[in-house]
Amino acid sequence: MGIGDLVRKLFSGNRWRPAVARPDTRAALTLRYLAFKDLITGNDELLEVIADIEQKLEGHTQFSMMYVRFRAVACATRAYRMIMCLDKLSSRRYQELHLVFSSIQRAIEAVLSRTHVAATAGPFTYPLSAVDATLAEKVGGKAANVGEVRNCAHLPVPDAFVISTDAFRAFLSRGQLGEDIRALQISLDPGNLESVNEISQNVQRLITASPVPPPVIDAILAGYDELARRLGGEPRVSMRSSAVGEDGEISFAGLYVTVLNVPREGLIDAYREVIAGLYSPRALVYRSMHGVPDEDVPMAVMCMVLVEAAASGIACSVDPGHPESGTLLITGAWGLGLATVSGAVSPDGWDVSRNDQLILRARPGRKETRVRARPGGGVESVAEPAASASAFCLSDPQVIELARLVLAVEAHYGRPQEVEWALDREGRFFVLQSRRLRLARQVPSLRSERPAPADGYPVLLTGVPASAGCASGPVFHLSESEDAASFPVGAVLVARHSSPQYVKVMGRAAAIVTDIGATTGHMASLAREFGVPAVLDTRTATWTLARNQIVTVDANQGVVYDGRVASLLSAPSAAPQRTMKGTPVYGILRQVADRIVPLNLTDPGSPGFHPGACRTFHDIARFAHEKAFEEMFRMSDRVADLTHKAVRLDEKLPYELYLIDIGGGLRRSEATDHVHAGDIVSEPMRTLLAGMTNPALRWWEPRGISLSGFFAVATELMMNPQYDGGQRRLGDRSYAIVAEAYCNFSSRIGYHFAAVDAYCSDSLTRNYVSFRFKGGAADDVRRARRCELIGEILRRLDFQIERSGDLINARLRKFPKEAILARLDQLGRLVVATRQLDMRMGPGPPVEWFVQAFFAGNYLFEPEARSPAETEEPEP
Amino acid sequence: MRIVRLLLVDDETRFVETLSKRLAARGFYVEGAYSGQQALELVASRPFDVVLLDVRMPGMDGLETLQAMRKLQPLVKVILLSGAASINAAVEGMRLGAVDYLLKPADLDDILAKVDAAFEKKRLEEEQAGEKRET
Repeated sequence: MGIGDLVRKLFSGNRWRPAVARPDTRAALTLRYLAFKDLITGNDELLEVIADIEQKLEGHTQFSMMYVRFRAVACATRAYRMIMCLDKLSSRRYQELHLVFSSIQRAIEAVLSRTHVAATAGPFTYPLSAVDATLAEKVGGKAANVGEVRNCAHLPVPDAFVISTDAFRAFLSRGQLGEDIRALQISLDPGNLESVNEISQNVQRLITASPVPPPVIDAILAGYDELARRLGGEPRVSMRSSAVGEDGEISFAGLYVTVLNVPREGLIDAYREVIAGLYSPRALVYRSMHGVPDEDVPMAVMCMVLVEAAASGIACSVDPGHPESGTLLITGAWGLGLATVSGAVSPDGWDVSRNDQLILRARPGRKETRVRARPGGGVESVAEPAASASAFCLSDPQVIELARLVLAVEAHYGRPQEVEWALDREGRFFVLQSRRLRLARQVPSLRSERPAPADGYPVLLTGVPASAGCASGPVFHLSESEDAASFPVGAVLVARHSSPQYVKVMGRAAAIVTDIGATTGHMASLAREFGVPAVLDTRTATWTLARNQIVTVDANQGVVYDGRVASLLSAPSAAPQRTMKGTPVYGILRQVADRIVPLNLTDPGSPGFHPGACRTFHDIARFAHEKAFEEMFRMSDRVADLTHKAVRLDEKLPYELYLIDIGGGLRRSEATDHVHAGDIVSEPMRTLLAGMTNPALRWWEPRGISLSGFFAVATELMMNPQYDGGQRRLGDRSYAIVAEAYCNFSSRIGYHFAAVDAYCSDSLTRNYVSFRFKGGAADDVRRARRCELIGEILRRLDFQIERSGDLINARLRKFPKEAILARLDQLGRLVVATRQLDMRMGPGPPVEWFVQAFFAGNYLFEPEARSPAETEEPEP
Repeated sequence: MRIVRLLLVDDETRFVETLSKRLAARGFYVEGAYSGQQALELVASRPFDVVLLDVRMPGMDGLETLQAMRKLQPLVKVILLSGAASINAAVEGMRLGAVDYLLKPADLDDILAKVDAAFEKKRLEEEQAGEKRET
């Protein structure tokens, strides 16, 4: 064979013949394109959700059970959508993915469904005489504790019955109340108090408007009638929340609702009111801060005979601020206990020694109001005459009797207790409830020694240290009725009364100072739980401390200083590092995330990269994404037998280019079978073409082909039967599938196969360019050098490169539109310039020289480079 | 660009009314239905582009309605809405041809984005179906 034959063979090839037109090809193409786009979108969305889950797994931000459920569903739907899209793209090539998906789905469902307490339905009510700790799941923590005190410790507790958690479930599962409540809470963001308030209102409104199922009503009334029979009269009852988990590890102190003095006819409304109280803003915030899933706090309601109390209050069997002191604390006020526990009055206080019940200290309060039962039901707050306001509500013998009762409760539990007590008009003490006492975290410092007073800093206030620790910050006044949303992070909360309402700002407050309030109140208990230093009962904080004044609160000593006392603040902080880790919700997210987040399939080239190896939704996404690209390239290969609707591009190019528009990519009149560059609307295609037609490419000029290079190509051609002219032809047609923001271009120029797939819009996250190049027809040295060169050029254009043999895969994602277009321009030039490469890339200048030549616009790779005209530097 | 025809289906009348108003204010043509049956009657009588369909409804539920609806108008795009975060229901819905699954209460921006994407898909499918008829 002479050189002339070779040249003929090289440059003529077989003429391309049109295949039989298949009318549905374009329709199929569009569908595939849509499926591809859908898959890319699904992938992006899934990766975003995964990133969000990973961030939550760090444990520093709060999230609810709702969050876990919704993220799980979002991931599952995205992964499933990707599988369905891949089915369309690949004609169901990867059916195994469905099996893998189902098994992951089942695993996640199993974790999520475990959070529902297995509800073996029991009675809707229990008499208190039947209640002990073993019934906690049915009657809630509070009722179980009181039942223990009455039935096991045989201490005085008013008679009661409990509306069970099964009644609660029956109520919620009526209609879709439970689901509606869940739905309303979906967008709950504990950091955004306005949204918390709105959600709380909506949920509470929903509950109070929902009818209680008749069997539950019947059971409640029957429970009450039985209680009335035992007492021989129709009592008024107090109805208190008794949530499962309440008064256990985490206290929920004072967060739920108590309705006092309820007559028989008010039972059902009061029941709904207590249930609605489960969703008060403070309870929502508290639960989410503690990572308690809503599903885990089914609510029981305790209906206890109301003690017409002469006095009532709280007692702590150990001083929570100074557990080592051997002191028991009692606080009390006139009337019903509401005023004491809610911090509305400054109560009387007694310190009693634990070992011999001596009164060590008695401090009269200022009990300016008294809460009493109204004859018609409910309670009212009345002014207390000045004389009794400052008179002790208990006599010394009564204080000692009460102290013994409290110690007996503690003895039953074997650990410190916080007891709510009442004294009836006959002078009998009753235990209304008892919960585990939360002690201040021990600060590892010299607690027994009095620390040096903060010299030079004026003492502004002294009060009762209720939650240990020291903190400094600007003063911010807040009243109970005010919107807590405005409370700034790191401020010192200054308030008239202590109130459990303030749990809403405990995540943000540096410290708390109040005029009135006691260590034994609910808020103090919450402050200790959250590690917020608190000084209460300062009497004058609200008018002594000015807004924005910088103060230092020493809640170990009960002192508030003016200014920032650095020496106090450097002491180890009592505040715990707040974290979601270790909470039930965190554990559930962790388990669910195990089937979503980890990526096991990383190397598409490895034999392990197959559907059966997918363990997580992330794996499925990775696999489907990879295969989708493969299918897209397969698709552009198939287009070679398509003529239908393809139009020829009338531009000066080294080969014929045909365009197929699948949606908004071309502007053309139906009549013509050709278009001009100006008719291309598709921005990625237009830019790619601009690159290919860059004047500096000068591909049409006669080239000085180095003879050795030419022989290298020609020899390879003869040696390799694959290139016999039938399978691979020079001067083949090239095709591009275009849409408004998309192009898929593939060409074979010479023996090179090059393909560009790009999506380019204003949406950064969806933008990508992928480039694939496969060379041929050259000896190994040239191939290797060419591969190296193209890889290096692509790397400098910020592409991620994968090489296997002489196939180069390059990808670039999430770049802004302009940057994507700049790369497409360069790719266009590269595609055409590679025509020259094989001839040039024999032994000779180093690869780096070619890289420089390319970026200098010397696309002919001429050794004596002319100064490049009209070429731009690549984007950095 | 023609007006997008939306159908909202939910037994919760307040939800349908509120969302209808907000979507109409954004330039959509919106009709509401309060049951699956009512929705099917509407879909049988005139074309819609996108349907927002609640999964949990008394009587004919969302998934049944979805199946029947796609028989009446195969190209109509159905986005399921649900207050219950159930993976099973979501996946089943997508298998039956829903384009997406939104959890209630959804953000209006989320709803708008999903409706836009669904409509875009329908437009492209219609175009290709139109070309198919021409040949």
